[in-house]
Amino acid sequence: MKPFRWGRPLRHARLQAILAVAAMGAAVALPVVLVSVGGGVFAHELSEVENAGYQIAVSAPGVHSIADAHSDVSRFGAVPGVTYVSPILSIAVNAFNSSGSASAVLAEGVIPGQFSPTLGSAESGLFPNPLPLGDPTDLIHYAGGTYRGPATNDVLVSSPYADSHAVHVGSSLALGLTANRSGAVAYNVTGIFGVAPTILGPVGAFAILLPLSNLQLMTGYANGTGTIVPDAADTVQVVVAGSVAANPSSLDRVRSEIQAMVPDYGVSSLSQEAAQLQSADSVLTGFYFALSSVGLAVGLLFLALVLLRRVETDRRSIGIRRAIGLPRRAIAGKILAEGLELSAAGAGAGLLGGYLLVRGIATYATSTVQEAAQLALFSPVQLGEIVLGVLGLSVLASAVATRSALRIPISEALR
Amino acid sequence: MTEVRAPRIELAGVTRTYGASTPEEVQALRGVDLTVEPGDFVSVEGPSGCGKTTLLNLLGLLDSPTSGEVRWDGRPVGARSDRERTRLRLEGVGFIFQRFYLLPTLTARENVELPMRALRVPRAERTPRASALLAEVGLTPRARAYPHQLSGGEEQRVAVARALANDPGLLLADEPTGELDSRNTRAMLDLLVRVREARDATLIVVTHNREVAGRARRHLEMVDGRITRDVREG
Repeated sequence: MKPFRWGRPLRHARLQAILAVAAMGAAVALPVVLVSVGGGVFAHELSEVENAGYQIAVSAPGVHSIADAHSDVSRFGAVPGVTYVSPILSIAVNAFNSSGSASAVLAEGVIPGQFSPTLGSAESGLFPNPLPLGDPTDLIHYAGGTYRGPATNDVLVSSPYADSHAVHVGSSLALGLTANRSGAVAYNVTGIFGVAPTILGPVGAFAILLPLSNLQLMTGYANGTGTIVPDAADTVQVVVAGSVAANPSSLDRVRSEIQAMVPDYGVSSLSQEAAQLQSADSVLTGFYFALSSVGLAVGLLFLALVLLRRVETDRRSIGIRRAIGLPRRAIAGKILAEGLELSAAGAGAGLLGGYLLVRGIATYATSTVQEAAQLALFSPVQLGEIVLGVLGLSVLASAVATRSALRIPISEALR
Repeated sequence: MTEVRAPRIELAGVTRTYGASTPEEVQALRGVDLTVEPGDFVSVEGPSGCGKTTLLNLLGLLDSPTSGEVRWDGRPVGARSDRERTRLRLEGVGFIFQRFYLLPTLTARENVELPMRALRVPRAERTPRASALLAEVGLTPRARAYPHQLSGGEEQRVAVARALANDPGLLLADEPTGELDSRNTRAMLDLLVRVREARDATLIVVTHNREVAGRARRHLEMVDGRITRDVREG
């Protein structure tokens, strides 16, 4: 019968230990998931910004668009150090394939010769070079500040659209602003471009690229109908010479000069955007930790309760140790070691659980969530900080249990 | 190991009340006056619940009186810090508890080594000493056994070996032979008496056993928390 006498409390202690480790594991897994996925997404975004082919962006999205886009190419291009200026107009239009069915596509109007140099290292391989859109300067159609020159009516389509609508180079594609095909204009498909993986933004899977003036004309921007100004873009991407890009003060000088030309628009350098992204990343990481602290507090509360329960269970053992003359620090050390052991096991379980959870989401989740999880970064420094934080906090939980243990009257513990 | 001589212990008007001002209030000791000289061999007898164990706890610094004073070598115990009392227990007191109180997660040898570990005795010194003590109580073959693998008598003998581990000047034994047969009782008594004589230690034994009480030099009898008889032989 005697072995059974010890078997019961042992099983009980094991169950408590398992529950404490599980609670700590869940508490650690949350920040692991948030920090690794959040950090991964930001690192990706930052990488895109840092690897873009342009260094300065002028923006005025919406109905207040950038007026006189063609003129700005000349003005911005005259600033010392500027090598290319690429205005872009992005508008959703309808594309009608040979069967006559309409699909919404994101149309980007560009000046072909200026657009290609703005492509970053990740994008440049996705587009034909040079862009087969005829009229590389867009000035044949936009002749003398009018739209009276001959239009090429060339269009490039994205590979997802081409695949799903059986469109290929040489096909005809009708484009219009409304769902009424009769108002659409026929375009020649002169090329296919790939689509880079995107994250946390509109997915440009169904997209087309055409000369800026064609899109302005098609959508009414060129005619100045309604409240929309003619010759508009929503973004102008500016490429500077390598020596300027490498020198922050030179880059800022160029940015300032452009800003002075267009005081109503936003002009920012991508290094500024990168700094803003990093700042936002720091804020969000802090937020993740704050959010996770709720789970950690619950986990640590559970750990403290388990340790207190152990103290109660080991009341007699503690009394015996104290009676024999073991110093307080020996009792405290034993409880601290138990607390650290449980929290270290919980932290290990949490790290593993968080890692597996992220991998599971990356494999089995859908859409953007899956893409975000695929970008997760497991930074040893951040994970180490989480583990150290948990171990540090577990000392507090152990201190609560130690205080309780040292307040047990020896003679009562031995009764 | 530090040489600790047996203390002179005085109890002056000591009372000990458990659960004071509650319906469960128990007056375990009522105005006890007692002086234990170094080297005394005292037996304490009396019916169950008369306060024998409480007296032992107060003598061994495990408990504090509700009123009155306990003095070790003339110095009130209440004036000593908890750390000091702990150190005195570790270096100077060996307890043999009524219910053995071995630590269930430690082997017999580890239980015996525990007080030495607390005193930071080097392993090279404490392991042979633990083995010698276990041999002295006849438990060499059971050194690696856990308490639940030992019989009551064996547990009692391990408890005695543990109490002797730090060569204490004061040995307090609460029914030390309660679980032993007559042959082992005699052997245990011989061991305790031998240790006491070798170190001139004080030995205070709570017992119902006439044979054990008969070996003592001084006999206390307690009734209802009071010492009703105190007889010194020779």
